[in-house]
Amino acid sequence: MLTRYVFRRVAIGLIQLFGLVIAVFFLIRLLPADPVSRFVGLNSSEEAYAQAERNLGLDRPIMTQLGHYLGVLPGEGEGLLQGSLGTSWVTGTAVSTEIAQALPVTLELLTLAFFFALVLSVPIGMLAAIRPGGAADKGVFVYSLFAGSQPEFWWGLLFVYLFFFTWGVAPAPLGILSPLTSAPPDVTGFVLIDSLLAGRPDVFLEAAHHYMLPVATMVFILSGPIIKMVRQNMVRALGSDFVLYARCAGLPKWRVALYALRAAMAPSMTLIGILYGFMLGGAVLIESVFSLGGLGQYAIRSILAFDYPAIQGVILVITAISLLVYLALDLIHAVIDPRVTF
Amino acid sequence: MNTLKLLAGASALALAGATALQAQEMLFLAEDVPAGLNYDGPAAAIPTSQTGMVNVMEPLFGYATNPPNESGVITPDFGTFEGRLVESWSYDADTLTWTLNLRQGVQGCDGATFNADDVVYTFARGKSVSGAAPIGWFLSNVASIANFTPAVFGEDAAAKEIGDEVLKVDDYTVTIRQSEPNALFLPVLTIFGLYMFDKELMDANATADDPWAHEYTNNVNVPSFGPYCVESWTKDDEIIFSANEDYYRGAPAIKRVVMKKVPQSSNRVVILRSGQAQLVQGLTPREFDSLRGADGISVGAVSGNENLFVHMNFDVPPFDNPLVRRAVAHSIPTQQIIDNAYFGQATAWKGHVPSSYPGYHESGTQYEYNPDGAKALLAEAGYPDGAGLDAYGEAFQLTYVSEKETTLGPIVNAISTAMREIGFPVTLNPIPQTQYGDRQLVKRDLPFAVNDQEKPIGVDAGYATQLFFVSPESGGLNNMVNYRNADMDAIWAKARVEPDTAMRDGMLAEIQDVLMNDVVWGPVVEYNTQWAFSDSVTGLQWHADNSVRFHDLSIE
Repeated sequence: MLTRYVFRRVAIGLIQLFGLVIAVFFLIRLLPADPVSRFVGLNSSEEAYAQAERNLGLDRPIMTQLGHYLGVLPGEGEGLLQGSLGTSWVTGTAVSTEIAQALPVTLELLTLAFFFALVLSVPIGMLAAIRPGGAADKGVFVYSLFAGSQPEFWWGLLFVYLFFFTWGVAPAPLGILSPLTSAPPDVTGFVLIDSLLAGRPDVFLEAAHHYMLPVATMVFILSGPIIKMVRQNMVRALGSDFVLYARCAGLPKWRVALYALRAAMAPSMTLIGILYGFMLGGAVLIESVFSLGGLGQYAIRSILAFDYPAIQGVILVITAISLLVYLALDLIHAVIDPRVTF
Repeated sequence: MNTLKLLAGASALALAGATALQAQEMLFLAEDVPAGLNYDGPAAAIPTSQTGMVNVMEPLFGYATNPPNESGVITPDFGTFEGRLVESWSYDADTLTWTLNLRQGVQGCDGATFNADDVVYTFARGKSVSGAAPIGWFLSNVASIANFTPAVFGEDAAAKEIGDEVLKVDDYTVTIRQSEPNALFLPVLTIFGLYMFDKELMDANATADDPWAHEYTNNVNVPSFGPYCVESWTKDDEIIFSANEDYYRGAPAIKRVVMKKVPQSSNRVVILRSGQAQLVQGLTPREFDSLRGADGISVGAVSGNENLFVHMNFDVPPFDNPLVRRAVAHSIPTQQIIDNAYFGQATAWKGHVPSSYPGYHESGTQYEYNPDGAKALLAEAGYPDGAGLDAYGEAFQLTYVSEKETTLGPIVNAISTAMREIGFPVTLNPIPQTQYGDRQLVKRDLPFAVNDQEKPIGVDAGYATQLFFVSPESGGLNNMVNYRNADMDAIWAKARVEPDTAMRDGMLAEIQDVLMNDVVWGPVVEYNTQWAFSDSVTGLQWHADNSVRFHDLSIE
């Protein structure tokens, strides 16, 4: 049953992706600017403009452009259906190559941030839920409201100023590795993993050190809503009949808490999944502050340059990952909540 | 906390390794790294891409230098050309032909050796107009090199092939023929868009689908004869240059330069102040100002070719009325902008051409800030106290590039406040850079705007005239305000082919008087180009493309 469910979800996801591809293809062409102008900056004669327009393929009928993008025109090379996302109009590099460079940075950053945010938020949320209205609960309320409403950009800059410039315990915001450090061979694209695979613990430590501030900034911001969600769900779970029954049965407090936590985690995981998908593109400010060169920065650069192939590629990848995350969430739900069946 | 200390220790070790190499290496922080190294490619218009090109490639000609200015920056002497890859040259006015005697023994990276084939290849590549943005062709056309005409964009394949206009005489002699006398020939050959390629390595990296190696130069390397070689390059992150020890003007003092992208200018400031970087660019005027006097930091500034002007479109009423244009020009609080937006690092602009350029002329017609004069002109135009201008509300949307909000925000606010007091119904309209570029360069429908990004890269008043002010019908290229003046076009047509410098300068002065009288642009300020760097860095030199040449620098 589970396999069937997964296949069905993947199939629906592919249809959604295809619809999105078509919609994005047309929508970005409604943007109020002509990407050709960026090419002809120094030389905007009519001939040069026409030449640049031809080079980009923008002189062709829009349906022909779509056919070229999808790769269904005979003799026109590979398109989306053959796995090609096209070539960036800004750099002339394959979009898939550029995304393959940027995506691992964002995934590594987000995964670390969500891991530590969970490690921090779940116990704090539980603590607050044990005695609603108590001092701990009030403190958590203030913190979660405060952290959840803060601009991560500002906190990132503040952390840089304090931890790097003033106290010198963090590295300069120069990316994942210092500029003079040789990167480990690219195997997975994830520097932390590649450094271990290459037997370079020094690089691993350096990368971990460089991730420290951006991850701390994200944890600070993300933990607000997660704590709030865990706390709310825990309060609800602790007040439910099955907890009352467990208490009456004389089960130890820690076991009762674990039962309640399991029930509370299901809706919390939904929030985390949504946040993760959102942050794939939304981590741009953190990436920018710490010069991380991730997917968010790539997306912004592409949008500002009206780089159609890159914009289409980024949206496609973010959507595909989000769909996978949501699928994973549904599966986790089934594990956490025995009432969920497929 | 222990983990924190461990991580700090690991990083400190890495930094210690870096410090040990400090005398030989430089960390240069910029807003981006090269997106391409192909000047006929898609990234050619991006300043940081140009920085990559000029450090790896080499021109035929350059300029002599002036002594350092008061902030220690060396400036070019635009009146004196120097041969770079050309050792000596001569011009035959009868045949309009330049004979270039090339330097021998020039070596680039990866075994590249320079000779006449490279020169012919470079022009042939330009004429092929095979790249995304054919700048090589454009510059050759501007210099009146024969047969570099718009015909290359047609269907005739022969028109795209190099002929005897660029001819190899022997291994170290080349002749280049012009179609008409044109004083822009030498200035154009100093521009990055005609720097030399190494033919052999370019051919080695060409493919059947890409015979001019655009893919290679867009993404991997550009074989040439400059002072640096590309050691590694990760787009959107960093590029590392290592010295070309065989560079014919002497091996670079700095052996390795790491150019690193740090998007946030405030982070570039703190990293420079921490001592980890030696050179930064692209800060806001306020940030540069904050670094003046900081321990161990110098700020170099030069009044080069960067300026800010008010754009008024002749095709959009009421800017078709010269009285309204003059009223606007008198409404700009120039000194307030210099003091509050540029922190004193700017001067009032009194022309339409950078004042450092040969041929610049300061006209007798000037437009100082004069609110009463502006009101009088407005009344004379039929809009006393702005009455009736509300009908043109859309035309008075003051457009500017939203990405430059930090720098331009205070300026547009000062302008709009001053203009509203006079009676203009000004509102602000920030739009993205690409949209601005589209409306400015292609659609040419921006009614009213502030522009701080027009730097004529050809160092000559005539080049600026042809680029910005000549009507499209007469060969104008970026006439963004739709200015049409047949008399001025006629003067330029004569000046363009005038071989006598004094006569040409006289005509260019006449043109600049016309431009000021017609307020073609509303010139506001010439602002300084600035860099911040460690005290240990010396030799900084300004070049007209505003890209730093690492070969100029040394670390003490």
